[in-house]
Amino acid sequence: MALQSIWTGTISFSLVAIPVQLVKAVLPGRVSFRMLHAKDYSPLSREMFCPDEEKIVPSDEIVRGFEIGPEKYIVVTDEELESLSPERSRSIEIVDFIDSDDVDPVYYDRPYYLVPSKSGEKAYGLLVEVMRRTNKAGIAKFVFGEREYLVLVRVTSGALCLVTLHYSDEILSDTGVATEKEGAVSEEKDRMVKTIRDMKAAFKPEKYTNERKRKIVSLLGKKAKKQAPVEAPVIGEETPEGPGDLVAVLQESMRKLKATK
Amino acid sequence: MKKTVARIGDRRLPLSNLDKDLYPSFGFTKAHILEYYRRISPHILPHLHGRALTLKRYPDGAQAPFFFEKRCPGYRPDWVKTAQVRESDGGLMTVCLVNDLDTLMWVENLASLELHVPLARAATPGTPDSMVFDLDPGEGADILDCARVAFMLRDVLSDLKLTCFPKTSGKKGLHVYVPLNRNETTFDETRKFSKTVAEVLQHNYPLMVTSSMSNELRKKKVFINWSQNGASNTTVCVYSLRASEKPTVSSPVTWQELETLAGHGDPAKVQFIFSEVIDRTEKDGDLFKDLLTIKQKLPYL
Repeated sequence: MALQSIWTGTISFSLVAIPVQLVKAVLPGRVSFRMLHAKDYSPLSREMFCPDEEKIVPSDEIVRGFEIGPEKYIVVTDEELESLSPERSRSIEIVDFIDSDDVDPVYYDRPYYLVPSKSGEKAYGLLVEVMRRTNKAGIAKFVFGEREYLVLVRVTSGALCLVTLHYSDEILSDTGVATEKEGAVSEEKDRMVKTIRDMKAAFKPEKYTNERKRKIVSLLGKKAKKQAPVEAPVIGEETPEGPGDLVAVLQESMRKLKATK
Repeated sequence: MKKTVARIGDRRLPLSNLDKDLYPSFGFTKAHILEYYRRISPHILPHLHGRALTLKRYPDGAQAPFFFEKRCPGYRPDWVKTAQVRESDGGLMTVCLVNDLDTLMWVENLASLELHVPLARAATPGTPDSMVFDLDPGEGADILDCARVAFMLRDVLSDLKLTCFPKTSGKKGLHVYVPLNRNETTFDETRKFSKTVAEVLQHNYPLMVTSSMSNELRKKKVFINWSQNGASNTTVCVYSLRASEKPTVSSPVTWQELETLAGHGDPAKVQFIFSEVIDRTEKDGDLFKDLLTIKQKLPYL
């Protein structure tokens, strides 16, 4: 797999520790646009604007405030937030094994793959096989960047997949979404069961395409043929190699740097 | 050969050819060179101390052929401190340690205009005290481009909570040093770290930065030479003279100063000669002093 690893460490439980790398499982399918200045197509950046003084505020004059009421804030510094950051960890520690079907997909946030590092392939293969056979998934805590995530480690067709989960207090309850009405006629029920049965199919994700993306890409293709593209921004060809976390943090830093220019 | 005998403390050091003009277009003689190093000695000696010196000797002046001398010459006085260092082929080599003024004067009497030292001390050859980014302008680029890259380096490293210090190379480029001083960080780590930083900068500013050695790819770009972070590599010591037309010096600058100097848009302004450096150290002391003490750990390795 030629995907860029964004984290390296071990996945562990009890006395087992398997060296792994974390890679993305999803590349966003959205076609993204840069905002350009119409007169010369130079790329624009976002600035923080103070409507009171009618001027752009430099980053060193910006602080974070938590709004507690109209025009009332609690100011929190970077240092204070940092002091709350969990200790960095090199391990995804599975704390519980649960039945794979126990997690409601409403909890799923972002999926990643776990790739075995050298010397970990054998133990990795064994874990995949056992988890598949017992139909189990692991619940783990995982520190990445400044945050601690609750994650689910499950088995896909041949690999371990890590899905970050929402915490339970983020999930909105479905009570009150539908109120139960009595007296569904059994005839109506039977008719619906039949309709659903008739429409039954296997899930084939490739059957459904992102129509908007397809149309935008086709529009871009046509325009590219008709008119020469306006001066394109230069993008580096080689993706930087190196320790995944370091590359990620440096890239984030470069993004910030570019935004303030 | 004209000889003079200098008395330093209670040692007598024979000096030769003191009036030989080693920077001919500037009228800077070997006596001037000895005098410069004598006056800068309180500031340069802590940076040379305990490090295997590579002499870069210019017996016929800064514009004439030179030679490197890694071995400490056999005819050295018996009070010159030395160390044994392992060569890449496994053999041992005796090197000079410039730990005091006398040795510095003796070395300069050999017309070693430039003093080059490794990033680790001879006693702990595997653990560098600092990490360096050597910013070298390719053809068509200049020190102002180096300064722009240096500012990016500073900002990126500062996001990683790492302090760094810039100095001029004394030639066309800049050197950015990151203090470590932990006796734990290895060259493997500084290489990996500096290479990653260089490649991320290149990735984001491919028209401005290259981490490639190739001269062709360096045209109009700043070459971030991360590979100086090796056990057998040496970098010119802070406050060393450089062999160029004028007696320029590899001089520390503050970040603020570098911003002001680079702001003038004149590459020549980001350059210091010996007399300016003497004045600067008399006023501000050694701007590189903290490089020797600040302890920092390279994160995310």
